[in-house]
Amino acid sequence: MHPAISVIFFTVTAGAGYGLLFILAFANLANLSGSISPDQITSMGIVGLVLVTAGLISSTFHLANPKNAWRSFTRFKTSWLSREAVFAVLFYPVSIIWLAFEFFTGNSTTTAFFAVLMAVMALVILVCTAMIYASLKTIRQWHTPLTPVNYVLLGLLVGALILAVMFAQQGLDVGRLLGLASVILVVAALVKIVYYYWIGQPAGPSINTALGFTRATVKLLDVGHASDTFHTKEFGFQVARAKLIWLRFISIGLAFVLPIVLVTGLLGNVGLGTLVLAAISAYAGVFVERWLFFAEARHVVNLYHGARRT
Amino acid sequence: MKLGLVIDLDTCVGCHACAVACKQWNTSGTTGPLTDYDPYGEQPSGVWFNRIRHYEVDEYPNNKTVNAPMSCMHCDDAACVTVCPTGASYKREEDGIVLVDQSKCMGCNLCAWACPYGARELDEDQGVMKKCTLCVDRIYDENLPKEERKPVCVMTCPTSARFFGDFDDPNSQVSTLVRERSGYSMMPEVGYNPVNKYLPPRQRPPAPTVEKKEGGSSASLIGKWMKRQKDAFNDLGKGAR
Amino acid sequence: MSALPEFENHDQQTVKTTTCYMCACRCGIKVTLEGNEIRFIQGNPKHPVNKGVLCAKGNAGIMKQKSPAKLTQPLVRKPGTERGAGEFEPISWDKALELLTERLRRIRETDPKRLAFFTGRDQMQALTGFWASQFGTINWAAHGGFCSVNMAAGGLYMTGQSFWEFGDPDWDHAKYFMLWGVAEDHASNPIKIGLEKLKRRGAKFVAINPVRTGYQAIADEWIGIRPGTDGLLALSFAHVLLKNEQFDWDFLTRYTNSTQLVINAPGTSKDGLLLRDEEGELLIWDQATDSTASWNDSAHNDDIEAALFGDFEVDGVNVKTVMTLLAEKYLSDEYAPEAVAGTVGIDAATIERLALEMAHVAFKETITIDTPWTDWTGRKHDKFIGRPVAMHAMRGISAHSNGFQTCRSIHLLQIMLGAVDCPGSHLAKPPFPKHIAPPIKPAKAMAPNTPLASPPLGFPMGPEDLVVDDNGEPLRIDKAYSWEAPIAAHGMMHMVINNAVKGDPYPIDTLILFMANMAWNSSMNTAEIQDMLREKDEHGDYKLPFIVTSDAFHSEMVNFSDLVLPDTTFLERFDTISMLDRPISEPHAACDSIRQPVIEIDRDVRAWQEVLVDIGSRLKFPALTKPDGSAKFSDYKDFITNFEKAPGIGFLAGWRGENGDEHMVGAPNQDQWQAYMDNDCFFEHKLPPEQHYYRFANKDYLEWAKSVGFNGHSGPIVMELYSEVLQKFRLAGQGLYDGPLPTHDEDKERLVKYFDPLPDWYVPLEEQRVDNDKYGFHAINQRPMFMYHSWDSQNAWLRQIMAQNYLYMNRERGEQMGIPDLSWVWVESHHGKIRCQLKLMEGCNPDTVWTWNAIGKQSGAWGLSKDAPESQKGFLVNHLISELLPPKEGERGLTNSDPVTGQAAWYDLKVNVYLAAPGETGTYPEFDTIKRLPGMKASAETLTYHTHTPINLERSMEDALKRGHLNSGDKR
Ligand SMILES: Nc1nc2c(c(=O)[nH]1)N[C@H]1C(S)=C(S)[C@@H](COP(=O)(O)OP(=O)(O)OC[C@H]3O[C@@H](n4cnc5c(=O)[nH]c(N)nc54)[C@H](O)[C@@H]3O)O[C@H]1N2
Ligand SMILES: Nc1nc2c(c(=O)[nH]1)N[C@H]1C(S)=C(S)[C@@H](COP(=O)(O)OP(=O)(O)OC[C@H]3O[C@@H](n4cnc5c(=O)[nH]c(N)nc54)[C@H](O)[C@@H]3O)O[C@H]1N2
Ligand code: SF4
Ligand code: SF4
Ligand code: SF4
Ligand code: SF4
Ligand code: SF4
Ligand SMILES: [Mo]
Repeated sequence: MHPAISVIFFTVTAGAGYGLLFILAFANLANLSGSISPDQITSMGIVGLVLVTAGLISSTFHLANPKNAWRSFTRFKTSWLSREAVFAVLFYPVSIIWLAFEFFTGNSTTTAFFAVLMAVMALVILVCTAMIYASLKTIRQWHTPLTPVNYVLLGLLVGALILAVMFAQQGLDVGRLLGLASVILVVAALVKIVYYYWIGQPAGPSINTALGFTRATVKLLDVGHASDTFHTKEFGFQVARAKLIWLRFISIGLAFVLPIVLVTGLLGNVGLGTLVLAAISAYAGVFVERWLFFAEARHVVNLYHGARRT
Repeated sequence: MKLGLVIDLDTCVGCHACAVACKQWNTSGTTGPLTDYDPYGEQPSGVWFNRIRHYEVDEYPNNKTVNAPMSCMHCDDAACVTVCPTGASYKREEDGIVLVDQSKCMGCNLCAWACPYGARELDEDQGVMKKCTLCVDRIYDENLPKEERKPVCVMTCPTSARFFGDFDDPNSQVSTLVRERSGYSMMPEVGYNPVNKYLPPRQRPPAPTVEKKEGGSSASLIGKWMKRQKDAFNDLGKGAR
Repeated sequence: MSALPEFENHDQQTVKTTTCYMCACRCGIKVTLEGNEIRFIQGNPKHPVNKGVLCAKGNAGIMKQKSPAKLTQPLVRKPGTERGAGEFEPISWDKALELLTERLRRIRETDPKRLAFFTGRDQMQALTGFWASQFGTINWAAHGGFCSVNMAAGGLYMTGQSFWEFGDPDWDHAKYFMLWGVAEDHASNPIKIGLEKLKRRGAKFVAINPVRTGYQAIADEWIGIRPGTDGLLALSFAHVLLKNEQFDWDFLTRYTNSTQLVINAPGTSKDGLLLRDEEGELLIWDQATDSTASWNDSAHNDDIEAALFGDFEVDGVNVKTVMTLLAEKYLSDEYAPEAVAGTVGIDAATIERLALEMAHVAFKETITIDTPWTDWTGRKHDKFIGRPVAMHAMRGISAHSNGFQTCRSIHLLQIMLGAVDCPGSHLAKPPFPKHIAPPIKPAKAMAPNTPLASPPLGFPMGPEDLVVDDNGEPLRIDKAYSWEAPIAAHGMMHMVINNAVKGDPYPIDTLILFMANMAWNSSMNTAEIQDMLREKDEHGDYKLPFIVTSDAFHSEMVNFSDLVLPDTTFLERFDTISMLDRPISEPHAACDSIRQPVIEIDRDVRAWQEVLVDIGSRLKFPALTKPDGSAKFSDYKDFITNFEKAPGIGFLAGWRGENGDEHMVGAPNQDQWQAYMDNDCFFEHKLPPEQHYYRFANKDYLEWAKSVGFNGHSGPIVMELYSEVLQKFRLAGQGLYDGPLPTHDEDKERLVKYFDPLPDWYVPLEEQRVDNDKYGFHAINQRPMFMYHSWDSQNAWLRQIMAQNYLYMNRERGEQMGIPDLSWVWVESHHGKIRCQLKLMEGCNPDTVWTWNAIGKQSGAWGLSKDAPESQKGFLVNHLISELLPPKEGERGLTNSDPVTGQAAWYDLKVNVYLAAPGETGTYPEFDTIKRLPGMKASAETLTYHTHTPINLERSMEDALKRGHLNSGDKR
């Protein structure tokens, strides 16, 4: 699949925003860092919303006809993208109400109610986004429960690390948050490794089943068009195998290994600088991961363009 | 009603007539124009609803060339429709035709991602998704002569490799062909239940040959034939064979 | 729930019928218009040719009309600029025609042959040929010589009917169909319609072709033959048929010359000629009397019993029946399947099986059609007997230098099986069959200001009919009908530029080209041809002084012209597809058709038809001029309506007679054009059932054919298995002929070697002369179904299907040679080299490489950008093909053509293929970018063609909101 930067930026950045907001609410409710002032919560919440918003704006760059974007609320019944859109919009009032309550009333039942509601919605949106991809039977690399798990974990991961930076900057205790982050990092890394292993196994349709000739080799003779088409541009994206492996290492290194090393203090004191580095590394690593998520996805239509398998 | 096409791979010669006819009709049709980019330049391309690809099955000298025209299969389980967030994509209840309402589409490409058959193409110039309409603007247009109320790709195909009809009617030509010729779906395992069906190339039984004769040298054969003509002549008294 | 879409407004539309000309198939079309814009072009279901279907090209007519490469105004080469530099300035039609007429007047007054007028893949040879005859130059011909004269001549000299556009397989009845070397052919839609009929009926379809694409893709059996060896395969089939005694004894006796007697007198002028009596009657051997009798009498008289086999003495002369000679020849071991298998690349068992399969269908699956008919002798038959084996063959056969004999070898098979013009076999299309050969002799004599006495092209019956001077040297500029190509029945267009520039046999003054892209895809040796077009003599004058091109588009040839006369497109003009020409007839109907303008001209262009009538009138051609010197016809339409070739016979056969109620023959009808337009632009005379088959011997048909002027008499058309005409040339080669004799040794040798009176096979000439170890591959090409020669790269839709051609090679062979898929390779012939990109495939004979024809273009031509793939990556094989054979010591340069007919031997090419060095990409040779012409606009960067605002398909908001899954309730 063609890795569109607008979409990658959207899923990574908005995902980080939702993750951040989720963890923020969780940290507050579970009292991970002692008491956090309403001001601090509100300002950190706003950062989360900014991330979400930046992501959402970016996602519209991907639309060829953004003036109809509003219509994407109409097909909630069947479309994950519609659901994502609806929730993404509903998310704003909920999160703003939550932050308003935090800001004006501090901790209260109502605040907690909205915090939980917001957090659940954040997770739901992460799942919706992932389900847009996971629901596509046409792309076996996406069509797996690992996809939503991965989206949720990576959203939380980057969100947690950004939050840790802000905690540290605000002088809040980051110890338990980093503990949580470490767990997410390890689980996310394992999920990703399982994923890479899983997509490495040949499966799914082949050029033979695509055309219905299953008893002999089938090869493309002529594709019937002179230059790139919408399909070859959108689905024909291909990177050299060696480069892919290399990028996988970079992504795992940046997204998981380096942050783990940094936040667990293996390289020495965990100061603000270390956390900034960890957050940036994770963000970059997840960005590469997301790029790979697209680049390694092989749409079945490629079979008609001559690919033997997806 | 379940309208769709049957395509006979046994007679399709891969001439691209159906693809160009489709382009021609539809560029002024309900979802037109079908934009062409760089039409006279380095990378000529554009929006098509029907494309013909050419494959080779098996290896020399047992190879067989297969031409495979593909357009929207108007799937029963058309995920291209369910994924569409705007409601632009829909499947008509009365006849199963899958369509895109251009005025609703936001050009997110998701339906194209969901389509296993490469049937949807984004018109980058117009920003909307386009696809085969099963010539809905012909098949119901009562101002067209009755025999022309069919998809243009079907009308134009010089080898009559394309058939249009109602798969819900067990006696329709399409249903009969599928039954009699083992019509099949492409990539059934993806589970979209495509309505369009393909008829596989036929395996013809070996042709009979006349029995082999002894032969002989040319002199002996010619001698034999000379004798035969003489005999025939003598037998009949005057020689009508 | 979702309502019907709104439909387009048909009230603002008009529908007109006319005839497609996106290729030479000439299908009937219905054009829907909105104003002067084309909404839709569709096939006319009533039309005899295409029956409603349309090919890819036909469907792309809109984009042909919208082509940015359309010429817009007459142009002259800017004075002082070099030819080919592409510097033109506009000129008015008046001035252009004045200039041209003056030049032509001078030529016509002095030496008419200094005008050469050649036309490419056109369909109005009756008109251009008429024009040339009236002008008085013998230097006229159309594309036939570089196209497929081998098929025409091969058939017309043997069966009186032929492949190409002149006959069709009996798609409705054939049970076995063998297709030899056809990718697309002229009957583009009809063949496809027919193949489907065949397959649907369960007939067996065997395709003989080095490449498996297109038609061959759907064949039941593919025979991947080695190019140039089909003749040998056919003769091996004949061997098997004879060995197994599978031939139609009655058919051969009745309808062919197989019982006629061949004189065996080596070393004499009679050797190999047919035995005749004093009156010149052909003789046979009558078994009843054990003496000779006339063939004619034997046909009428049941008491005469003609011997099919035998060896006799007549007046001390040894004679054998044709059939005996034939059997002796093909029964010989050299034609045994085992002996030919290696050469043709097909195993012996397959060869034998195919022959026996055909025999089974012909003799064990005979069909009958219960229609009584009468043969030419007056015998009544109660039914037509059909041997349902049909064949069709085209350029895979004809484009080789052994194509004439190969074509004859295929006809031999048909005749042996009795499968000619009978139900289920190959059927002639009226005006065919014709007598062997059609009684027109090529014109020789010319005089100033005088029309030719006969047409420039015809059918020689012996050396005396050659168009040579007293010394035996060629009289025509293309050297057609010279000793080098005696039966060059369609001329040799591919030699014209070469010969004219060399002044061999003489220089000319003006070359008019109509619809021929001779600076590119229809010339051999293209790059050097372009140099020749620029070549100057010692005075600095062009060796080819003046070139006039009639074209509708900015072709490569236009760039090399001195005067460009822009033509209309096929949707903008009146035109006739005449029975005097290459008609659109069907086997059971004589047909012709017209074109009418369906859209208005928006440029300063004129139909070439009009221009020819105009110039002819200005030059006062007798047929176009009244006694008072004024023009006889006001325009082309008037000419077509009122010109009569013979009394009652004109260009159009329908609706003749003063009241328009006579057909085929009748006085001019002033409303004839309107009658055609009222009948969807075509005329169809359906033959009555009793005239459907056996027309070579069918009394009713033969009499009708004579009455409408198709044939000179109503005698039978006797198929010539043995060609005395060829034997006469062979005798001339041996120095034994009573008449003109060749003087050059190379001519003598060729006449002896290649003019076998019985169908024969020899190694193609280039292959005979090159080092086949070095040039190990045959290089051939194919027509893409969606492109017509060079015209269609300007078509925005068609070029999206293909804008670059590849050289295809057998995969295993490529892998053995270490040539990976998609690599750039050098391809080298004895003559030159090109660089192109290669693809590996399965369905290709291992000794063959091939590509699609005429995709490669010169940069800047055809309205394409200079970096278009057609010019940067596409290529022409023509650069590798020399117009002359590889030279031999002491021999003058000989044309790279069939030695009998002069047919260009495009597919004889032998090449060697090797990897280009790393980094060597892009096609070679490269050419300069052609400049855009004055008045031509820049080509569009995006096209959004449509004729009305699209009527949107509306989905209701309610449905969008409410519907759960795909179908609201029932499904899930
Ligand atoms: N679409 C389209 N239609 C056309 C044209 C066009 O340009 N485009 N051109 C028109 C013209 S002018 C012509 S002359 C006709 C030609 O029509 P075709 O006869 O179909 O011409 P080619 O494409 O030259 O096809 C020659 C076929 O013979 C095969 N072949 C080559 N060498 C041999 C051989 O030695 N033996 C055998 N058995 N096969 C061989 C090639 O692989 C190819 O398939 O088409 C006409 N129709
Ligand atoms: N290597 C190789 N070369 C070949 C062949 C091959 O198989 N291999 N095939 C040969 C054969 S069979 C043929 S017939 C020739 C074809 O050779 P040509 O007849 O020379 O080829 P076309 O490309 O058809 O060129 C015809 C010209 O007519 C112009 N034209 C189109 N429509 C009109 C019109 O309405 N009016 C006028 N005035 N002009 C028009 C086009 O623009 C074009 O310039 O090519 C031959 N060349
Ligand atoms: S028009 Fe018919 S034969 Fe041609 S590509 Fe389409 S389906 Fe095949
Ligand atoms: S073929 Fe593709 S576009 Fe058509 S209905 Fe099926 S999934 Fe949708
Ligand atoms: S591109 Fe248009 S039709 Fe397709 S899913 Fe998006 S909104 Fe729906
Ligand atoms: S049914 Fe109509 S829209 Fe669909 S492929 Fe055929 S011509 Fe095109
Ligand atoms: S075969 Fe195609 S291009 Fe040729 S005349 Fe017919 S429709 Fe036109
Ligand atoms: Mo041709």
